Amino acid sequence: MPKVKKKRVGFVIDMTPLVDITFLLLTFFMFTAKFKSEAEAEQKFFIERPLASADTSKLPEQDLAIVKIAFPDSTKKDTSYFYEMTNEADWVSVKSGIEGLTPEQMQGAQLQVSIETLEALIKRTYIVNPETSMAIDADKSIRFKWVSDAMEVLSTNRFTKFNYVTKKR
Amino acid sequence: MAGGGSLGGGGRSKRGKSSKRKAKKRVGFVLDMTPLVDITFLLLTFFMFTTTMATPQVMEMKVPPEIDVPVEVKESQLLSLLVDEDGDLFYFRGQGEAEELKMKDLRNLAIKENLNQINDLIIVLKVSDNVDYGTVVEALDELNLAEAGIVDEMRVKRNQADFKRSRKFTIADLTEDDLVKIAVLKPQSGGSQ
Repeated sequence: MPKVKKKRVGFVIDMTPLVDITFLLLTFFMFTAKFKSEAEAEQKFFIERPLASADTSKLPEQDLAIVKIAFPDSTKKDTSYFYEMTNEADWVSVKSGIEGLTPEQMQGAQLQVSIETLEALIKRTYIVNPETSMAIDADKSIRFKWVSDAMEVLSTNRFTKFNYVTKKR
Repeated sequence: MAGGGSLGGGGRSKRGKSSKRKAKKRVGFVLDMTPLVDITFLLLTFFMFTTTMATPQVMEMKVPPEIDVPVEVKESQLLSLLVDEDGDLFYFRGQGEAEELKMKDLRNLAIKENLNQINDLIIVLKVSDNVDYGTVVEALDELNLAEAGIVDEMRVKRNQADFKRSRKFTIADLTEDDLVKIAVLKPQSGGSQ
């Protein structure tokens, strides 16, 4: 008896492996995703980090204060210090102890500062939370003077251990 | 998937019995996965684009706390490494004569000198204010890499498995005296200026 030919409207592909892999990737990216901090979102400049060989140590995420030294615009003529902290509560309390900040600066997550204000901020940081870990994130083509001044400020204010943010070579 | 399939199949076979149609044996059931896959791909692309894979790494620095009392050290234990404003490297021992150094030789020099005076040598990195920060980090990196070489040499080749490394290192400014020392070694400075 000949089989009755069933009219086919379409065809079915087994999507299971595809969905498996997709979900796997999705979960992977969801767990590894790290979103830009508020300060990074505000940041208008780009820091070309110096190259160093691979190291196992990574930038701490808790209670981190970063001194950024960068060229604020693309002409690379001026250099400026920027200061930011990952701990929101500490950051507010550090800023509240500094005189002469505009309301906008009080709101901002990243402050463009002079070396004097930087010193005041760092001093205040030590008072608020002496456990804060310090990092210097500087552009690789910046004059070393800027970095050594920042290091001097850090070490005179009892942050004798700090990190240079680098890029893997 | 298997559990759901048998459950759904069971329900359908019951209905199939009551109808006139000949009960077809079903192995599973087809679920339209299109919306699911749509959303999943959307999320996947979102996370793929927003995530930053390369987390910056760090190089740890420890500087001595400010102390007023100057520490006296033996001259013979000093190795000064100079980085001038063009990023050229020089070195001298104690108060000796300066010699030129290439970045690629820095690691071997640091290893060799450290092995001569194990755990006693003090490396002073004297850096010009005008040099690129990148060059300084490069030099620091070479010195860090030398540490591994020193420990390896002591533990493996000299059979001191319990060797403890105590590193003596400091970073300082380049002084006028240092500039005078290296002035003669600079290729152009003698002739053109």
